Amino acid sequence: MTASQQGTGDAAAAADSPSTPTAAPAPRDTRNTGPGRLLIAVYAVFALSATARAGYQILTKFSEAPLAYLLSAFAAVVYIVATVSLAKAGRTWFKVSVTAVLVELIGVLVVGALSLFDAVNFPHETVWSLFGRGYGFIPLLLPILGLIWLYRRRPAPRRP
Amino acid sequence: MDAYFYIILVVGLLSTVLCAGAGILKKAPNDATILSVAAVELSLLVYLVGSIVRVASGEQIAGEPWEFWGYLVTALMLPVGAVYWAILERTRWSNFVLAAVGVTALVMAARMNQIWY
Repeated sequence: MTASQQGTGDAAAAADSPSTPTAAPAPRDTRNTGPGRLLIAVYAVFALSATARAGYQILTKFSEAPLAYLLSAFAAVVYIVATVSLAKAGRTWFKVSVTAVLVELIGVLVVGALSLFDAVNFPHETVWSLFGRGYGFIPLLLPILGLIWLYRRRPAPRRP
Repeated sequence: MDAYFYIILVVGLLSTVLCAGAGILKKAPNDATILSVAAVELSLLVYLVGSIVRVASGEQIAGEPWEFWGYLVTALMLPVGAVYWAILERTRWSNFVLAAVGVTALVMAARMNQIWY
C-alpha cells in the first residue's frame, strides 16, 4: 500500500470510528461476515473435497503419478489454510489469507496452463487441472473473488 | 442414474433455486429456506437407508464401497453444517450458503451413482 492510500485509509478510519454505533458491533478486522460467509462455505467444501480426493489418490494409486497427487495434496492444504484463515479475525490471519489465496491463484493458473500445454506430463487430474474445469471453473473464480473480498475488508492501517 | 439420484436432483435444485432466490431478494434465512435444506437432508437420508437395505440384501457396489459411504456420510453432514453456519449470522448471504447445499448434494449424488454402478 502506498503512503497516500494509507493516509486516506487512516482518515476514513478516524472519521468512521467515533460515529458507527448504529450498525451491529462488527469490528472491521474480520472477514467472516456477509459475503465472506459464503466465500468461507465454498472454501470449506473445496477443502473437504480436495482433501478427500488427494487422500484417496495417494492411498490407492500414488505410484501412478506422484507429482499430480502431491499437487492434489498441496491444493488441499492451501484450501484448508484459506478456509481457516478467512474465518479468523485479525491482522495476522488476514496476511495468512492473502498468502493462501495468492498461492491458490498461482497454483490454478500454473497447473491449469501446464495441464493444457503439457498434457503428457500432467495427464492425471487434480483440482486445478484445466483451470478447475472438473469443478465448474470454481477453483479459478474462487481466488479472484477471495482477493476482492480480502481487499475490501483489509485491516485499517495501524495508527502511527 | 437411479431414483435416489433423481430425488436429490429435484429436491436439491428446488432448494438451491429457493435459497438463491431468497438471497437475491435480500431476505435472511427463514423457515422456507431452512426447511428446503432439511428436505435435501431428508432425501439424502432416504438414499442412506435405501443403500443400507440394498447392501444388506446382497447387492454389490461396483466401485470402492468405502468411497461410496464416504461421499454419503460427507453429503449428510453438509446441510447440517450449512444451516448451522447460516443461522449464526442471519443475513441474505447466509441464504447463498444454503443455496450451495442443493447443488453440492446433487453433484455428490451423481458421483455416488457412478461409484455404485
